[in-house]
Amino acid sequence: MAEKTPKTAARIADELSTCGVKLVASLPDNWLMDVITTIKHDDRFIHVPVNREESAIGLCSGAYMGAMGSAALMGASGFMTVIYALTKINYSYEIPLFLMATLRGAVGDHHKHHASNGLYLLPVLDAISLPYQIIDKPDDIGLISRCYHHTRTFSRPMVVLFTRDLLRGSH
Amino acid sequence: MNYIECFRAIARHRTSEIVITSAGNSGQAWWLATRDSVASFYLDASMSLSTMFASGLALAQPELEIWAFMGDGAFCMNPGMLMVERQMNLPNLTHFLVSNRVYGATSNAGLPNFEDNDYAAIARGMGLERVFEFRSIDALEREFPALTAANTPGHTFVVLEVEPFSADEQKLEQPPFDGPELKYRFGRHVESLTGCEIFGYQV
Repeated sequence: MAEKTPKTAARIADELSTCGVKLVASLPDNWLMDVITTIKHDDRFIHVPVNREESAIGLCSGAYMGAMGSAALMGASGFMTVIYALTKINYSYEIPLFLMATLRGAVGDHHKHHASNGLYLLPVLDAISLPYQIIDKPDDIGLISRCYHHTRTFSRPMVVLFTRDLLRGSH
Repeated sequence: MNYIECFRAIARHRTSEIVITSAGNSGQAWWLATRDSVASFYLDASMSLSTMFASGLALAQPELEIWAFMGDGAFCMNPGMLMVERQMNLPNLTHFLVSNRVYGATSNAGLPNFEDNDYAAIARGMGLERVFEFRSIDALEREFPALTAANTPGHTFVVLEVEPFSADEQKLEQPPFDGPELKYRFGRHVESLTGCEIFGYQV
């Protein structure tokens, strides 16, 4: 069985800090609550809970234009609402953006209402040519930094997708 | 008040402020009034995100004064942004809500509940304290200094009640920049003002 949060959450926070993230804008997802709580209480970050996922895209994009590292954290359903914002702001202006989302609807998800995310989340990412990295186990949390660097190197957005096994353990 | 004249008046009061415009008319009007291509970021087609973008910049660079324009069409799409703005309460951010009571960027199409929307009341209802409304150029010219002089700390919300663009005004030039060009022009300016390094990221 994979280890559970909050140790995982602490490692995610450490990795974000390592790559220079200061601002974290978030919307909740039950799987993410340990991560959000950890970041909220970590002085290395400015945590901004936002009203909707698109606001996180705007906020983090503006922070980039002020040289502040940032990350947008959200559930899969929320991610599905930000395609316009991503393509209009981050694609049109070539503004880097680092996103973290949940891989809802995949094997192991207990909630049947995420069936649409299981069917369409990855195809949507492919349809807009948005690079993604699935992080499924604690040993891969280091990939967060590599993906963050990728957004800055190529001036594009990228999303890492956390699985249930990573965030809640594989029970 | 006339939309263009309103923007010209605001431009006259500008000193060193960094400006973010929203999609459509506000970008056209600001470009006409200023021809600024370095200290203004024309966030075209951003549908309700100009002030969130501005908030990120204001947070990152607190020594910069940021003005952000947003139409009421964009505002209707995401009024909850004010909750985030109030929560952040950035003293270097001024949110200008340009209320023309239409979707100006799309041929002045009708806005829901346009006759009754009270944007200042909505802002106050979300806890904002520095809320201003202007309905005439005279009032704007006379009271503009109050925007920065008020004692209440926190970010500023300004409602500008303007007439929709005329048919001729709708044909005004859009800021003639591709996205990446604007990003670099604006970003280099921010770098020069603050000493920060936006584009020198190295692994």
